[in-house]
Amino acid sequence: MKIPYAKPHEVFAVIPAWNEASGVGDVVKAVRAHADGVLVVDDGSTDSTSEQARAAGAIVVRHRLNRGQGAALKTGTEAAIKLGADIIVHVDADGQHEPEMIDALVAPIREGKADVVFGSRFLGIDPSGMPLIRRLYFPLARLFNVYLLGVSKHVTDPQSGARAFSTRAAQQIVFHQDRAAHCSEILRSVTRSNLRWMEVPIHVRYTRETLKKGQKFSEAFRIMWQLLIHRLK
Amino acid sequence: MPIQILLLIVIIAADVVAWKRVREGVIPVREAVLWTCVWLAAAIAVALPNATSVIAQLVGVGRGVDLVVYGAIILIFFLLFKIFVHLDKLESTLTDIVRKDALKDIKEKNINELTD
Repeated sequence: MKIPYAKPHEVFAVIPAWNEASGVGDVVKAVRAHADGVLVVDDGSTDSTSEQARAAGAIVVRHRLNRGQGAALKTGTEAAIKLGADIIVHVDADGQHEPEMIDALVAPIREGKADVVFGSRFLGIDPSGMPLIRRLYFPLARLFNVYLLGVSKHVTDPQSGARAFSTRAAQQIVFHQDRAAHCSEILRSVTRSNLRWMEVPIHVRYTRETLKKGQKFSEAFRIMWQLLIHRLK
Repeated sequence: MPIQILLLIVIIAADVVAWKRVREGVIPVREAVLWTCVWLAAAIAVALPNATSVIAQLVGVGRGVDLVVYGAIILIFFLLFKIFVHLDKLESTLTDIVRKDALKDIKEKNINELTD
C-alpha cells in the first residue's frame, strides 16, 4: 500500500540497530549514498542510537522493548512498505556490510531478473578478517540448513544478513522468528516459494566490534530449538 | 509407615485446597474434579503400593514404583514443553504489540517530519 504523502522513494535500506550509537551514524551516512531512504529500527536501545541515526539522516522507528534482529527487520520492512518503497534492502548496523553491496543486491531486482537477492560471502570475494572458527562453522551451518531445516542446497551462504526484496516479495514472505533464526526462516520461505531468487557475491569486513556482537557458535543450537518450537506450536 | 501417612496428609490437603479454590471462584468445578482424580490415584498408589505393581506388570515395567516415576517424568516433560510453547506465543504477542507501537508513527507522521 502506498501512502500519498510519501516521496517517490524507491530503494529503502532497513537497518536494525540495538545499542549501536557509536557506529550507526556512519553506517547511515554511508548507506544513504546507495539508497533513496534509510530506515533505522531502534530495537529498544538504551543509548542514543535513535538520535544518532536521525541526525545522520535516517527515518527512525523505535521498538520500546528489545525484540531481536528478526523482529526489528520485520518492523523495518513493514515501515518501508508503508513509506512506499519499491525495493527493500536489509543491512547490518555494525558496519560489516560495505554499502556498495546495496547496488549489487538491488540491480537484479531493478532489471527484473529476480524478486529476492541474497548477498553471499562465499561467491568469490574473500571476507576480510573472518576467524578460522567461522570458516569451519559455516559449512556445518550449511549442512544443518539443508538437511534439518530444508533450505535449498543451492544457497551458498545460509547465515547472510544482506538481502534485498521487491516489495511484492517482501509482502509475500512471512517471517515470525524474532531472533537469530530469521535468517534460516527467510531462506527457507523464499527458496520454497515461486519467487525468483539469486545470490550475488558481497564483501564482508570483520572487525573486533562486529565479532563481539556477532553470532556465537552456541547460537546454532538456539536457532534449532526456536525453529522446532515454532513448528510444533 | 510414616512416609505413607505424611504423603496421604499432603494429598488430602492438596485436594482440600483445590475445592477451596472452587468456592473462591478461581477454578471451575471441572478442574477440581480432575485434580481429585489425580490425587485419588496418588492416594491409592501411596496407600496400596502393590496396586501399581499390577498395572506395571501389565505394561511390562517391573515394579509399580518405577511405573509411577516413569509416568511422572513423562508428565513433567509434557508440561515443560507446554510452557515453552506458551512462552513462545507470549513472546510473539509481545513483539506484535511492540511493532504496532513502533509503526504507529509511520502512519501518523509525514515522511518529512520523520527525517527531521
